[in-house]
Amino acid sequence: MTAAPLALGKGPGTPGRVRRILTSSQGAQATAIVVFIGAWQLLTLVATRVPGPVEVTQFLYTEITGGSHGGIITGQFAEHFAVTLRHFSIGLFIGFTAGLLAGVLVGSFVIARALLNDTVLVLLAMPAFVWAFLTTMWFGIDWRAPVLTVAFTAFPFVAVNVAQGVRSITPELKNMSSAFGVSRWKQFKHLTVAAVTGYIFAGLRFAIIVGWNGILLSEWFSGQSGVGFRTRYWFDANRYRGFVGWVIVFIVFIVVLDRMILNRLQARAFRWRDPVEVKAELSNPDFDQVGA
Amino acid sequence: MTKSVSEVVARGQDNLDQAQRIAAGSRRRRYMAVVVGWVGFLGLWWALSAWLGSEARLPSPPRVFQEILIILEGDFWNQFWASIVRVGAGFVAAVLIGTPLGFAMGRSRYWGNFLQAPVVVAGSIPGLTYAVMAFVVFGISFWGPVLAVGLISMPYVAINVAEGVRGVDRGLIDMSTSYGRTERQVFRHVVVPSVLPFIFAGVRLSFSLAWKVGTLTEVFGSSKGIGFQVRRNFQLFNMPAVIAWVLLFIVFMLLLERLVLVRMERRLFRWRQWERDQ
Repeated sequence: MTAAPLALGKGPGTPGRVRRILTSSQGAQATAIVVFIGAWQLLTLVATRVPGPVEVTQFLYTEITGGSHGGIITGQFAEHFAVTLRHFSIGLFIGFTAGLLAGVLVGSFVIARALLNDTVLVLLAMPAFVWAFLTTMWFGIDWRAPVLTVAFTAFPFVAVNVAQGVRSITPELKNMSSAFGVSRWKQFKHLTVAAVTGYIFAGLRFAIIVGWNGILLSEWFSGQSGVGFRTRYWFDANRYRGFVGWVIVFIVFIVVLDRMILNRLQARAFRWRDPVEVKAELSNPDFDQVGA
Repeated sequence: MTKSVSEVVARGQDNLDQAQRIAAGSRRRRYMAVVVGWVGFLGLWWALSAWLGSEARLPSPPRVFQEILIILEGDFWNQFWASIVRVGAGFVAAVLIGTPLGFAMGRSRYWGNFLQAPVVVAGSIPGLTYAVMAFVVFGISFWGPVLAVGLISMPYVAINVAEGVRGVDRGLIDMSTSYGRTERQVFRHVVVPSVLPFIFAGVRLSFSLAWKVGTLTEVFGSSKGIGFQVRRNFQLFNMPAVIAWVLLFIVFMLLLERLVLVRMERRLFRWRQWERDQ
């Protein structure tokens, strides 16, 4: 009975209850986490330079609580994280606002679409590290480099999604509403806003994912502070436990923000649509057109 | 009262001509707008660079164009080919790893649940992580970008294949079995053709992301390729060359996507032609 769970609940001797728990959806997910940590631990036995889970946890504890890493180097989690969050939100605000404006224009007017379509296409294809390089060459090592890297990488993704949303408003519904005397304000509220909200949200999600990658790159290449800078600091110091610890921090941040918060909010924004369809759409992580 | 046939035909011809004229007019207007868009973009760029008045900040379009010509005459194809081979090999790796994972996820509910979170997390990891990891594992090497592209594209392939496996027509399998087809035959002629488009869709979806991560990896650990060239010119503070390499990269990436991928798609899905025609 004690050894049976290792057979992933498939062994003939496994009691029914344990087996049910292990093969349930939560059981499978929990097993995945255990297997991952086990594989990581095994890897450290083979490749001795790879820091193990215990080492990395210890590092993160010291870094977050501000303890000493040995010598005069102390943990500086809050400082660097705050700097990155500040730059990230300013850049995101700029990129999102500009993208919203461009998206509404491109979606509403054929001429605007013809004018801006190719530019947006080129911007979509631009790798984020190029913005990190360009902004550094323009502004030097400065707060404007990470902020504008986020803004430039986020902008085209918002614009494309908003334009798609604006174009998705059906003229039939609008005509019918006008014919039945629905007021302008109500039309805007119940038709335009309802149709576009979901797309704006999708745009915001893409903007957050690509912008996060952008700010990490910018701070890595030319930062003096921030998450990306601190990750590089440990990498250059050959302290891989610090590097892996910070990588885990920025992955956890984006996964929690995207999958746990934004995904739910998006489901709420789409709640007027067919719930089954929306559920299928959202449970499939389509990272369609996500840029690196 | 009675209209002759020729009259009706003539009227119809008139209407058609008029419709075509209107269509041609709006097409022309659209082309004009695209041209104006490009001219406006270049004009804005030129004005901005003249206003800044500094080659190191924003070189003028002719200066960048000159640089592009120099690169095209030089070793552009060499560098570009190096990047293509790596990214292509990365896609092969992604398909080789992602397809079995996708099959497992699509066939069994247990493995679907087991792999769901790892695949989602793998798909959300910033490209920087993969690039640095590839550099740590392989140093300056051919295999770094291959690993990074393989890792970044794998989740897309796995999720799409899982979707494809779940969507295989049960009726078709049941019918094939009852007509005495062997399991192998069913796999070869029913399962594979239905899943193939999904493998391709996975590669297609991750195409631009994979290219970006591939070049980013070249920035870190490579002595060749487009990413390396961008980094080298960044370090030399050669702004015209940075912009020239990036523009070439974007143009060729878009061309590759439009020409090669669209063609491959058509070839792979020839057998579904009748479906689309209906």
